[in-house]
Amino acid sequence: MSSPSSNAASVSTSASTTTIHLTVNGRTRTLSVEPRRTLLDALREDLHLTGAKPGCNMGQCGACTVLLDGEAVYSCLALAIECQHQAITTIEGLAHDDQLDPVQQAFIDHDALQCGFCTPGQVLALKSLLLRDPHPDDDAIERAMAGNLCRCGAYPKILAAARSLAGRAS
Amino acid sequence: MPIRIVTTHLEFEGQVEEVRVVLEGEEPPAWGPDTPFQVVGKPTARVDARERVTGAAEYSYDVQLPGMLTAAGLRSPHPHARISRLDASSALAVPGVRAVYSHLNAGDFINPSSGKPVFGNELLYHGDLVALVVAETPEQAREATRAIDVAYEPLPFVTAPDAALAANAPMVNTAVPSNTISDEYPQVYQRGDVEAALAQAEVTIETRMETPAALHNSLETHGGAASWDGSRLTVWSSTQGVFGARQQAAAALGLPMTAVQVITQYMGGGFGSKLGVHRSGLLAAYASRQLGLPVKYMLDRTEENLDAGNRPPSVQAYRLGAAKDGTLAALDLAVIHNVGANGLWSSPVALPAKELYQCANVRTTDRAARTNLGTLAAFRAPGVVEGIAGLEVAIDALATELGMDSLELRRKNFAERYQLLDRPYARKMLLDCYRIGAERIGWETRDAEERRYPGGRSGHLRRGIGMASQLWGGDGGPPAQAIAKLLPDGTAVIITGTQDIGTGTRTVLAQIAAEELGYPLERVRVELGETAHGVFSPMSGGSMTLASVGPAVRMAAVEARKELTEVIGQLAEAPADALDIRNATVFNRETGAEMGGVSTYLEQLGGHEITAKGMRGPNAEDVTVRTFGAQFAEVEVDIGTGAVRVVRIVAVHDCGRIINPLTYSSQIEGGIIQGLGFALTEQRIVDERLGMVMNPNLGDYKAPTIRDIPQIDIVLLNEPNVVANTLGVLGAGEPPIIPTPGAIANAVGHALGKTVTRLPLTPDRVLDMLSTTTERS
Amino acid sequence: MRPFEHLTVQAADEAIQALAGGDGGNTRLIAGGTDLLPLLKDGLVNPGRLIDIKPARALRHLTFDADGSLRIGALTTLAEIERSSQLAERLPLLRQSVVDAATPQLRAMATVGGNLLQRSRCWYFRGPFDCWLKGGTVCYMRDGENKYAAIFDQGPCRSAHPSDLAPALVALDATVSISGPAGSRTTPVAEFLAPPTNDERVEYRLRPDEMVTEIRIPAEAIAGHGVYLKAMDRRAWAFALVGAAAQVTILDGKVARARLVFSAVANVPWRATAAEALLVGQTLTPDLAAQAADAAIAGASPLAHNGYKVPLARELARRAILAAANLWTETN
Ligand SMILES: Cc1cc2nc3c(=O)[nH]c(=O)nc-3n(C[C@H](O)[C@H](O)[C@H](O)COP(=O)(O)OP(=O)(O)OC[C@H]3O[C@@H](n4cnc5c(N)ncnc54)[C@H](O)[C@@H]3O)c2cc1C
Ligand code: FES
Ligand code: FES
Repeated sequence: MSSPSSNAASVSTSASTTTIHLTVNGRTRTLSVEPRRTLLDALREDLHLTGAKPGCNMGQCGACTVLLDGEAVYSCLALAIECQHQAITTIEGLAHDDQLDPVQQAFIDHDALQCGFCTPGQVLALKSLLLRDPHPDDDAIERAMAGNLCRCGAYPKILAAARSLAGRAS
Repeated sequence: MPIRIVTTHLEFEGQVEEVRVVLEGEEPPAWGPDTPFQVVGKPTARVDARERVTGAAEYSYDVQLPGMLTAAGLRSPHPHARISRLDASSALAVPGVRAVYSHLNAGDFINPSSGKPVFGNELLYHGDLVALVVAETPEQAREATRAIDVAYEPLPFVTAPDAALAANAPMVNTAVPSNTISDEYPQVYQRGDVEAALAQAEVTIETRMETPAALHNSLETHGGAASWDGSRLTVWSSTQGVFGARQQAAAALGLPMTAVQVITQYMGGGFGSKLGVHRSGLLAAYASRQLGLPVKYMLDRTEENLDAGNRPPSVQAYRLGAAKDGTLAALDLAVIHNVGANGLWSSPVALPAKELYQCANVRTTDRAARTNLGTLAAFRAPGVVEGIAGLEVAIDALATELGMDSLELRRKNFAERYQLLDRPYARKMLLDCYRIGAERIGWETRDAEERRYPGGRSGHLRRGIGMASQLWGGDGGPPAQAIAKLLPDGTAVIITGTQDIGTGTRTVLAQIAAEELGYPLERVRVELGETAHGVFSPMSGGSMTLASVGPAVRMAAVEARKELTEVIGQLAEAPADALDIRNATVFNRETGAEMGGVSTYLEQLGGHEITAKGMRGPNAEDVTVRTFGAQFAEVEVDIGTGAVRVVRIVAVHDCGRIINPLTYSSQIEGGIIQGLGFALTEQRIVDERLGMVMNPNLGDYKAPTIRDIPQIDIVLLNEPNVVANTLGVLGAGEPPIIPTPGAIANAVGHALGKTVTRLPLTPDRVLDMLSTTTERS
Repeated sequence: MRPFEHLTVQAADEAIQALAGGDGGNTRLIAGGTDLLPLLKDGLVNPGRLIDIKPARALRHLTFDADGSLRIGALTTLAEIERSSQLAERLPLLRQSVVDAATPQLRAMATVGGNLLQRSRCWYFRGPFDCWLKGGTVCYMRDGENKYAAIFDQGPCRSAHPSDLAPALVALDATVSISGPAGSRTTPVAEFLAPPTNDERVEYRLRPDEMVTEIRIPAEAIAGHGVYLKAMDRRAWAFALVGAAAQVTILDGKVARARLVFSAVANVPWRATAAEALLVGQTLTPDLAAQAADAAIAGASPLAHNGYKVPLARELARRAILAAANLWTETN
């Protein structure tokens, strides 16, 4: 069994189930997974946090987007065992005590969603941008949101929501 | 209440169907153009948006039950093959694997929709189901699919429709002696004498349009989770129709419908491909029964793209004849459909040619081939998207030939009446759409030098403006039911059997009920997406949901309010018609005096809930209800790289009364963006030699990203159509995708001075177009 | 994906040790995982052990040395290249090469080392086909659906190199530092990436017990100015149909150094040396750029569906050369 030890030398883990610790939405969670378990499956299957969605499992849709230390990544292409030293934020962790994150509120107000399956990923992708750059221009918004497909085509409204948060009318 | 059985007509995707429905009571009179509204017509955020932005919304993919197992499918790596050996022992040895199903041990499991076994040993297309693994974890299930030892005996295959229809073609399915759908094909529609009219026409042209197979790629794949409680089955299905799904599941599992419950609270898109429970939902139920544990089977993206339907490819050949003044004299269209291995129908590609323009001599011929490819499914305005693209490009080519403005040509051939049944349209606002759209896009200056050549004539940019028309049904129809319940605490529950597939159904139904009840929106809760309530609604398809279910909800609310005022009147010793209810508060109509909240009365009734029923009445007879519209596109083509950028789309659609302008515009934008994908980037690519699909994923199958979208200007007409239904609404789900590809194709044609003959307009195609010499003057 | 053992290392030497102790190809390094995990999921590689090198922080840096050269650690992410203001100023070509690569999420994970070692995106290679590159006998691309295929023939395989970064690195005369059990070696990126051969059916030359530690770009290359232009099927999230990297140094009004390198036209980044030769020593004009662009595509042998890549490569080359010299405008 391995334990997370940031300064130690190499840590070896057998192919079977092992215990890992993930910091998810500010809480340390202990779970037992195979090394091949992706972060997406760990969140959904082990922690029952199903906000991150499997749209493709191949880095081709963006529905599984979560934040690792504030940076948007595809959780389907990360191994859970390799995310033990980063702060993981999922959509479930964005609102605080019933108080929605401004990004969530802007998505509601601008109707930046239809079926909603891509929405958690979209919200987090935009959150990640705004953490880095609170006042992005349209080009920056479009580039930051280019890794999240929305098959329903909520893009114009997502853009409007993002513009409103960037402090610019749409 | 009086009960009547009436016969009425439904039009769904070009087919007119007679239905008999039972009606109780009378629908309220239609909302008129001057009806005042408090809630209806106001931009309203979705009532379930919070769940969707917080991750709380539970999709079928998210269902987790104690002990639940996961399934994964093994798919055919051949276009046509027989399974000569299948040995699952290595797969069963993978830790965590509970079962492997195939034709060997589950051959008697029949899909009621096709009447055929779910597992056959003749595989008809790349992606056909070979076997299903059920395991404890998704990784184990997927790993085990690779461990199944299968030997395939390849069989001759055919993927091109003309080859499939040729003499001596390989049989797509050795059990079916012909590659056509049925002996109703070729389907020929005729009025007048096309050949004679073409021979006499002053001007004739021929054009061709090939459209690709498009894959729905709903972001949530098809599938379901199933759980048994004794002999009762619950299926959480990603479906557009819980009642249809229930019927299929009951038939497949040999259960009475009362033993099956289907739940779809949230679903991640369907676009026509999820009208039932799908094989995947049936398999989850089957495996769950065998194993005594809940089972979830959600397709992976590859399975989805190979086996969950497609907008089938079409090849359209047009011949048009006209007088020099532009009067259309003849229209001949031949279509070849490629409906895939198990296709039983073909899409109404020819519908626009029959109906859109006034023309005495029309002939359409539909040939349809089954091929060794995945089977077609309805996809947002099936056929009509393709047909409009073909027809509207042909009209532009004719205009060029005539030296006439193409919009003028369209106006000239405007069809006043519905020519197929020679009867009036309830309303046709198409000319208004043309006028408004043309103004907005600046049609008049479309040939101006500085507009067409943004970088000057020697530069590499060319701009073009094009347009296309839209027609569609979307007036809905019966049967659809709703129940309104007024609870003692002053809240209301609306129960229907419809589902919200992302279109905002929950929200508009709540708005309608709130309006009629005189309740604030927050006090109205809409319950849908479950068969257990037993309140029937049709599937969400054909842009019929609001126009079918909305009137039923309205009637239920009207009836509930009647009962409410009656009850309050008796309690307050006032005549019921002297009472008004606004904001869930009772007022005296004459004096304006406030008489307290509704709950102060309802709470006196010992828990009694006022319950009222509503249903959708029959459709108007002897008249054709349509939505019409037009879109105008401005594009910029880089003639050096072949890149096409859509700069702007102006969309003018008559969708009747707009209940919620916010979600309405979302629908329009979504349709346009899917249409843009169809025009520019999306296509299933098949290696015809191998019979294999090359891009069953979201990497090589390219749906638009946020960077691909243009500025979209939506013109809200908001004119109630009082003939259509008591709300005056028309569907808005399909209309917006219909004209987009045609408008873009015409804009590109305008930019390049050529006629588009094939979609999508990827850079390679555009560069090829540029290197061919046939200019259009 | 088969089960695998997992090892986490903190430094390059630990990785080398672990690789040496391993059994050749059965062990794989994992960096960002953005290419490796899809390959594992598709069953195209099935290692018994993964070594996570991400914690080796020393391999993650962007350093301009005193002599003006640049060193990039193998674990530097594409996002770090994209966001480096120093690079934006001093080496725009490099930054440009990654801004339209993949997506923000992928760039946040994807590393420079992994990008050079990513496998072909050919759909026959990635799909259920026993193609030559996977050890079979046929390159299905040649007579199949080859719209994305290479237009230059470099051997049995016709897959096109997918990396946007690699052609930029080749245009910058970059070298790659490699560590193995026997020590370190340095090789030009232009040689490190090599067409697959019968014996080595991969697009790079790295032994299973070696790892990439660093990329170096010499000062002479940085002194010039360059651009990367990428043509795509959609405006984001697509591999290049063709990409063109040009880096040009102009001294006293004449071209002193020129590099023109394409992505997606050959098995590996394709350097257009004939075009470069035409430019050097000359005053750069639109006509000269057009001539060089013509020379750049000489010898192309397109297949049935990728003929469009020839004029596309020519046009991107012309624009890239002009843009590198700040001569490109909307009107030419
Ligand atoms: C959907 C999608 C779109 C993409 N689009 C683009 C694009 O447009 N342009 C583009 O250029 N790329 C694109 N990519 C590719 C992407 O850039 C690469 O996957 C990424 O750069 C690989 O880096 P990584 O760190 O994730 O590598 P990994 O996946 O971790 O590793 C890839 C390979 O390199 C080996 N490896 C990694 N690091 C080292 C090292 N230091 N020494 C030795 N071996 C090592 C691994 O063993 C493995 O074999 C795309 C990828 C995806 C999934
Ligand atoms: S599920 Fe991760 S990108 Fe699609
Ligand atoms: S809202 Fe449906 S995919 Fe984005």
